[in-house]
Amino acid sequence: MARTLLVEIVTPEHIVYTNEVEMVVVPTLDGEIGILPLHAPLVGAIRPGEVRVKIGETTEWFAVSGGYVQVHEDKVIILADDAVIASQIDVERARQAKVLAEMRLSEFAPGSRDEGYDDLERGLKWAEVQIAVASAH
Amino acid sequence: MPNLRDIKNRITSTASTRQITRTMEMVATAKIRKAQDRIESARPYALSMMEVLRNVARFVQGASHPLLEEHDKRERIVVVAIASDRGLCGAFNSNILRLTEGIIRDERAAGAEVDVIAVGKKAIGYFRYRGVEPIASYRDMTDKPAITDARSIASRVIAGFTSGEFDAVKVVFNRFKNVAEQIPEIHDLLPLRHEVVEESADHLKVNPEYMFEPSADAVLERLLPTYIETLIYRSLLESAASEQGARRKAMKSATDNASEMITTLTRSYNRARQGAITNEIAEIVGGAAALEKH
Repeated sequence: MARTLLVEIVTPEHIVYTNEVEMVVVPTLDGEIGILPLHAPLVGAIRPGEVRVKIGETTEWFAVSGGYVQVHEDKVIILADDAVIASQIDVERARQAKVLAEMRLSEFAPGSRDEGYDDLERGLKWAEVQIAVASAH
Repeated sequence: MPNLRDIKNRITSTASTRQITRTMEMVATAKIRKAQDRIESARPYALSMMEVLRNVARFVQGASHPLLEEHDKRERIVVVAIASDRGLCGAFNSNILRLTEGIIRDERAAGAEVDVIAVGKKAIGYFRYRGVEPIASYRDMTDKPAITDARSIASRVIAGFTSGEFDAVKVVFNRFKNVAEQIPEIHDLLPLRHEVVEESADHLKVNPEYMFEPSADAVLERLLPTYIETLIYRSLLESAASEQGARRKAMKSATDNASEMITTLTRSYNRARQGAITNEIAEIVGGAAALEKH
């Protein structure tokens, strides 16, 4: 067995995933980083997007809504605001959330960043990411 | 002589009250476990978050961030009062409201205005009644707080603090010490104390050089607001568990009191019944004796 990484995907509410894997790919602010065993210590911010985890021949996909990644001694901790494995994404619900968020956002006056705007925008992004990840796999 | 029927009625009504309080006690007991589990599952994130924060902070010398800055003035402060939506939980809510009142009084004496963010119907109702309109209020989530609730509270206080609208933020909540004990506490939320990012850099094991993506400053800047969210989320969870703990305790003593009352009432009921029987016998005997004379 090749050398592996321990990966943990954690949200404030629970641990989404933890496993020994061969490679992790996380979406960083300006691209993607692939992490293999023996990776140098790293702390990075991640954007809403897709996390890929490779174990042998299989790959697992996750939608994450942004957060942080820390790599230290073959341990990868992904701190995400929200995270869900691709197979468990509720696409219908994400679609509804998207429509609702868009509707609410359109009610804001152009250019205004009033209270609640950021929350809605964050919710919209999260819904879009879930839809994208679910439809890609 | 108390009326037999009256006593009987009181016993019946006390017994049904006891049935209710006993059920509430059991429900609360079950909910404590769930609430504790929720605190537990929030722990890994909080711990990892602290670790990342420390690692980052060590690389940002003399970290400066709006959330770490103490304002020159102290004119307006905000208290986040975390109470509950429902009553019947002993001193749970009144402890929070009393502490909050204390802060308001002290800060006003020191010349600062105080605004309140009320969490839970009991807090909202209380402050409205006292003529203090909360600048934000949250309801229907105190028994099962979600991270999104914490996020929306956090974004409100962060926005207000960075824009200079207010100069300090405190949070008042019941800390869940154990099932039997909940401790009302006041925590300073903003400005973040520097120790948060500076402490314990020394006693961490010798640390490797970290790479940062995109940069240590950028990561720290995003990390601090998330840290605030985590703190608020934690307070909400603690409060939710405490509420159930407090309710269980209150309902247990209510049940005990009801039992005691039933015992006393049953005793006087029996005494009254016996008295009535004795009376009847005396009447019959008296009546018989009167008849015999004829």
